[in-house]
Amino acid sequence: MENAIKVTGLRKVFDQHAAIEDISFSVKPGEIFGLLGPSGSGKTTTIKILTGELGQTAGDVYVLDINAPLFGTADFKSRIGILSDNSSLYERLTVYDNLKLFCKLYDAPLEQIEVMLDEVNLKEARSKVVSKLSKGMKQRVLLAKALIHKPELVFLDEPTSALDPGNAAHIHRGLQKLNEAGTTIFITTHDMEEATELCDRVAFLDKGKIQELGSPDELRYKYSTHAFHVETFDDERLVIENEAGNADKIRDLIANGEVKSIQSDNPTLGQIFLKVTGKELV
Amino acid sequence: MNTQRIGAIFEKDIKDFMKNMMLLMMPIVPIILALIYSRLGEGEELPIPMLYLIVGVTFSSVTASCMMTMMAEENEKKTLRGLMLSPASFMDIIIGKSLVVGLMTFIALAISLFFAGVKPFLSVQAIIGLILLFLFFLFLGIGIGLFTKSVASTSAYLMPVMFLFGFTPMIEFFGLGEDSIAITIADLFPIMQLIKMHDTNSWVPIGVVAIWTIGAALFTYICFKKERTDD
Ligand SMILES: Nc1ncnc2c1ncn2[C@@H]1O[C@H](COP(=O)(O)OP(=O)(O)OP(=O)(O)O)[C@@H](O)[C@H]1O
Ligand SMILES: [Mg+2]
Repeated sequence: MENAIKVTGLRKVFDQHAAIEDISFSVKPGEIFGLLGPSGSGKTTTIKILTGELGQTAGDVYVLDINAPLFGTADFKSRIGILSDNSSLYERLTVYDNLKLFCKLYDAPLEQIEVMLDEVNLKEARSKVVSKLSKGMKQRVLLAKALIHKPELVFLDEPTSALDPGNAAHIHRGLQKLNEAGTTIFITTHDMEEATELCDRVAFLDKGKIQELGSPDELRYKYSTHAFHVETFDDERLVIENEAGNADKIRDLIANGEVKSIQSDNPTLGQIFLKVTGKELV
Repeated sequence: MNTQRIGAIFEKDIKDFMKNMMLLMMPIVPIILALIYSRLGEGEELPIPMLYLIVGVTFSSVTASCMMTMMAEENEKKTLRGLMLSPASFMDIIIGKSLVVGLMTFIALAISLFFAGVKPFLSVQAIIGLILLFLFFLFLGIGIGLFTKSVASTSAYLMPVMFLFGFTPMIEFFGLGEDSIAITIADLFPIMQLIKMHDTNSWVPIGVVAIWTIGAALFTYICFKKERTDD
């Protein structure tokens, strides 16, 4: 398989309003791919099309080498895992019973329940009724549900938006482990730090189009002004261009013991996003 | 269709049913009605229309009502989406739920008729009639459950089903003339046909009820097409 996901010229129109104008991208097997964009930019819509929940208006969509019209089959559905932005659980049932249902629906061995409970740090809550859980705990049960059948490819729609930093970090480690074991991950998020930390490549989605695409490092280099920011002990701040002619200048500053700190000017993904789209990501 | 997935849905829905006070109250209704009627009868056998009133109440308040409530709740709480994204087909989901509703209906009906008098129903013809009637109410429940988006709104649909098809024998108490149009039409309704069946032993009433059941199945199919095929 060359691509886990291949999308060409995808367009989606809802009652005459184009939520997605025209997007193309591909995701390699084993990659963590991040789709970033402000609220209403079409992230959830894209995931829904990639998982067969919505049909596209135009364009070609291949997921795991299967063409979009065939996404309804049990075979396709059991190869992907989905954590959607408003998935929900059976509130009157226990955590265990909820996971058991999906274990059976996906034909996964029941031992997977324990494995997943451990993975999302919920061993003690297994017999708790879902309605008694906190939002973050529910989110972790949903994540366990999405991964319980060991899918080849998982779609995560803002998986950590309801979690505190500690739990989010725990989930990030889990996702990295999952990825190291070979799972391809397609993730949408508002959280630029999360994207920088997790994603091999990110795409910025805005106004129905992909405005920028690349690895976080590539993008940070591309949008860098390539200057050094030097702070001296006299509290002077110098901006020195990264040019051969400036090498002596920097050397002298360091040689004279004047440099308090020196930083290269690589913007964060958040700053790049702002530059590309003129919008803050919130 | 896949028996393991149907089994998984059945197991989940039984557990959920047992923890849902609103659903648990439903099977109690016909049982209480049967108890009251049998006390009123003072040991004498209840007339056939009375027995069918109990049957009608069971099928509308347990079969149709529980089915539409369960489906509406899956819609409202967005859990249906999770099921639809899983390898389970819509058929698996509906059959799993129908088995739960069928079991609850059977229990409620058996207990009710135990109190009210089960004898008239112990014939092949009467049992076929009951099964067709069960399917009729089940299809109505599924069809309505497909388009109701909240549990609260199900009662608006349940009322007409209950009064038209569950309480049909009550029309006699309205004091309408024998040959009024309402009575003539009501006579064609499924429960009235089954009551007639006990007088005549003819199979025609079963045929009429079968047509009603097919009609209800068509209604379900149309609801399914409308709800499940657009975005
Ligand atoms: N079923 C629908 N019918 C009509 N319009 C829709 C539908 N679903 C989404 N939209 C519209 O499509 C656009 C994209 O929505 P989408 O949910 O994909 O955004 P998003 O990027 O996931 O936003 P968020 O970050 O808030 O989750 C929005 O303008 C939304 O109103
Ligand atoms: Mg979204």
